Amino acid sequence: MRKTGSALAIALGLAFAGQAQAHAQLEHAFPRVGAVISASPREVRLWFSEIVEPMFCSIMLEDATGRMVPTGHLFVDTKDKRQIAVPLSAALKPGAYRVRWHVVSVDTHRREGDFVFVIKP
Amino acid sequence: MRNHILFSVLVVVIAGQASTATAHAIAGNRFFPTTLAIDDPGVADELSFPTVSSFKTGDSPGARQLDVSGEYSKRLTDKLGVSVGETWTRIKTPGADTVRGFQNVETTLKYQFHTSAEHESIMATALSVEWSGTGADQIGAEHHSTISPSFFFGKGAGDLPDAYAWARPFAVTGQVSYAIPSRSHDGPDANSQALSYGLALQYSIPYLQAHVKDYGLPEFVGRLTPVIEAAFETPTTYIRGAKTTGTINPGLIWSGRHFQVAAEAVLPINRDSGHGTGFVMQVHFFLDDLFPTSIGKPIW
Repeated sequence: MRKTGSALAIALGLAFAGQAQAHAQLEHAFPRVGAVISASPREVRLWFSEIVEPMFCSIMLEDATGRMVPTGHLFVDTKDKRQIAVPLSAALKPGAYRVRWHVVSVDTHRREGDFVFVIKP
Repeated sequence: MRNHILFSVLVVVIAGQASTATAHAIAGNRFFPTTLAIDDPGVADELSFPTVSSFKTGDSPGARQLDVSGEYSKRLTDKLGVSVGETWTRIKTPGADTVRGFQNVETTLKYQFHTSAEHESIMATALSVEWSGTGADQIGAEHHSTISPSFFFGKGAGDLPDAYAWARPFAVTGQVSYAIPSRSHDGPDANSQALSYGLALQYSIPYLQAHVKDYGLPEFVGRLTPVIEAAFETPTTYIRGAKTTGTINPGLIWSGRHFQVAAEAVLPINRDSGHGTGFVMQVHFFLDDLFPTSIGKPIW
């Protein structure tokens, strides 16, 4: 019984270890992943599960032909450091766009990913 | 000036670490969760504890077997890892005394030799040893050691064309092992070599939400991965009456930030594989996420 209690204590200790960071997972995005929207957004914003290190993060935007779309400089939200965004230099034309992101969480774990959104004609 | 130098050093250190700190079984967009019937294809710092399974054996009359096991895996380098596992077993046979004890200790050396972010693919090879003399006679721990070279793979469907985007959350992992006993006989009992093979087909809802289409699902649902595993073992040296055994395991995996919880039903494929439906459950900790600067990082 004591062994069972010790094992449970270890398991709970692991589960709730303080200050632990993890691989940053994309929780949601604006525009939303796979969304079809009617107007150009002013920025692309990503919400992650962990605080990320903006110096080692990137958000790139490609049009349907794979050509890079110019964006402003990436910034981290001052109130929530799990959010990063890039402003768009100009309104996007109708079509499909792919967002490619790469982030490093503050514990140096890195993740990358991509998704598409579409602006209706 | 001093602050500037310190900042530059910090940047270099973080950049250097960032090039290696991946762990888990991750390839590009794809995270391969740990599965229960077969091992995942990655090398990582992780702890599976406990894994609890209960099923009726293929003996006649069928005995109820309960296994409680744990496995600790440690990266030596980013691609090379070792693990050690142990299982406690209780067997209740109708009309006989209940027996309990530990199985033989098993150790594994695993090397992840291929990772493609673009194609969401991982491959690894491993050498496992089940060590004789470390388990209890009464629960049938083998008196011989067994060496098992293995091959693992994982492939996500993220590179499917846009017309099949709905199928991109699918992934398959697999394992092929060949068990070679250290002795051909233990007394009058022959020890067979055996081929073990299995597949796990999974549909990742986290992948669907983050890379295909965000349906705004509740957070709990958004972390689920339905999975169906199939694992088989075929003796390759002739032993009278020995047949292929195996199970089909449908289940669910919930993946959190620091741990995952999985549960599967265990359906035997024939009478030699067991009687009735069993179950297996596991709590699995991501040590590289829990302790990224200490026990959760590679030694070298």
